[in-house]
Amino acid sequence: MLTNRISSKLQPLVKAFCWSLVVALMLLTTATASQNENSSPEVKDFEQRISKYLDAEKAQNISNKPSASANKIENQKKEAEQKVREARPTAKQGDIFTPEIGAYFKKQLAATFQGPDGEKIRKSLNRAEPLPNIPLRVNQKYPRELPLQSMPPTLLLNLPRLPNELQYRIVGTTLVLYDVSSDLIADLLPDALPGGVAK
Amino acid sequence: MKLAQLMKSSITRFDSMTYRSFTLSAVLLGFLISTCAPAQSVARKAAAKSGSSAASDLVAQQAEEHNQATSTGLDIRLPLQAKSVRFAVIGDSGTGDREQYDVAREMETYWQAVKFDFVIMLGDNIYGSHSPRDFVKKFEKPYAALLNGGVKFYASLGNHDDPNDERLYKPFNMGGQRYYAFRKGDVAFFALDSNYMDPKQLEWVDQTLKNSAGKWKICFFHHPLYNDGRHHGADVDLRSQLLPLFERYSVDAVFSGHEHVYERMKPENNIYYFVLGNSGKLMTHDLRQGEHIKGFDTDRTFMIVEVTADKLYFQTISRTGETIDSGALPKLTQSH
Repeated sequence: MLTNRISSKLQPLVKAFCWSLVVALMLLTTATASQNENSSPEVKDFEQRISKYLDAEKAQNISNKPSASANKIENQKKEAEQKVREARPTAKQGDIFTPEIGAYFKKQLAATFQGPDGEKIRKSLNRAEPLPNIPLRVNQKYPRELPLQSMPPTLLLNLPRLPNELQYRIVGTTLVLYDVSSDLIADLLPDALPGGVAK
Repeated sequence: MKLAQLMKSSITRFDSMTYRSFTLSAVLLGFLISTCAPAQSVARKAAAKSGSSAASDLVAQQAEEHNQATSTGLDIRLPLQAKSVRFAVIGDSGTGDREQYDVAREMETYWQAVKFDFVIMLGDNIYGSHSPRDFVKKFEKPYAALLNGGVKFYASLGNHDDPNDERLYKPFNMGGQRYYAFRKGDVAFFALDSNYMDPKQLEWVDQTLKNSAGKWKICFFHHPLYNDGRHHGADVDLRSQLLPLFERYSVDAVFSGHEHVYERMKPENNIYYFVLGNSGKLMTHDLRQGEHIKGFDTDRTFMIVEVTADKLYFQTISRTGETIDSGALPKLTQSH
């Protein structure tokens, strides 16, 4: 009788403990999966390609220094643009976003938009002057006449990290790898964003 | 007879004394009235326009301390205290159009009286093309008087800015960085790049706010976290990442642009939020009824701000020189 009473009193506690355990296990699994994904072969390959890209750029001794003269800054940028183009004369779409890496990015982006932060990211994108899909090419200057589509921070947290020299950009549904110092498009991944994301 | 003479002379003496006292009192009263009248008129004007108790406090203080400001003929609502930090705020300014120049002229007029030391720029500093000519037309020329007077400009990047050009452009004082911090007296300023809030920048924000010894902490960047504009609205994802940091490290005030209006939002968790994205561009009748205390969307504006030990005074001025908002905001946070 006494045992029954104790067990009925303990029942909610045991239930709560079990649920906590389940939640903790789920979180652990997600974290492990995410870590595994970050060390996935696609991410490793992506990082190597980025590193190779930067080595080629570094070999060109590009140095953009602060100046009070807008003329000087423009000349520096033109020089950087020329040097990066010379360093990658045969550069083409998919050199960095290979089909495998591209597939990985698309999967990551789709999962992020379907996840709990998806709605928030979608809103953020739509409120920051979303750009239409326009034709873009590798080694082409980033279209300066268009405003920059700001990148939602939560989206960036779900993509492999980039060094300071490169940034992700979104133009329409294309994910662009943007070279900051030369203002050139290093690579691009069309249809990277799931349909209906941008206006 | 003698008595009559004595009485007459007494009355004459009394009259002359009374007359002299009366005249002296009248002169003194006249002087007092003439001295106090302008201050009271400024006080009445400010109270009538803002209708807030904070503004009334400010105005009362002004009447006591700063009658000299009124001698310029300008409606100045900053206390102009010694050792305070004074600056101006512009956002979405770089159009190169006539309206930008009008605002710049009004800024110069107020600078002559207020002598703010620097200007913070809330992004979209240069619209459209970024040729050297554009830097002249959209920045150097309109603000030439301020630049020549030694006023420094501290820029943050907007979605129409070229990060590569502008972070390297020395008059923008960005030190070659997309995001940076600087200190003026007891006030620490944090210029963020809200176009690209990557994990690295978030870590920097966390560490820099944490280690800042500034008594006041002011962040400025382009995309607003709170905003009642129809055109853009608030950036909710940016807010979800920045707000916990701002609250954790006791940020006092946040200035943003992007929406081409002026708004003073209701303080959220002890942080004051201002949106000023109409120093060049304007989105007329863009504001919805919402969470703002004061909104203005029918002309361009700029702000002048003064931070003292315990208050942030602000005055928002339109292109035509009309004060459209002002007040004295107490520090709500404890220094971290």
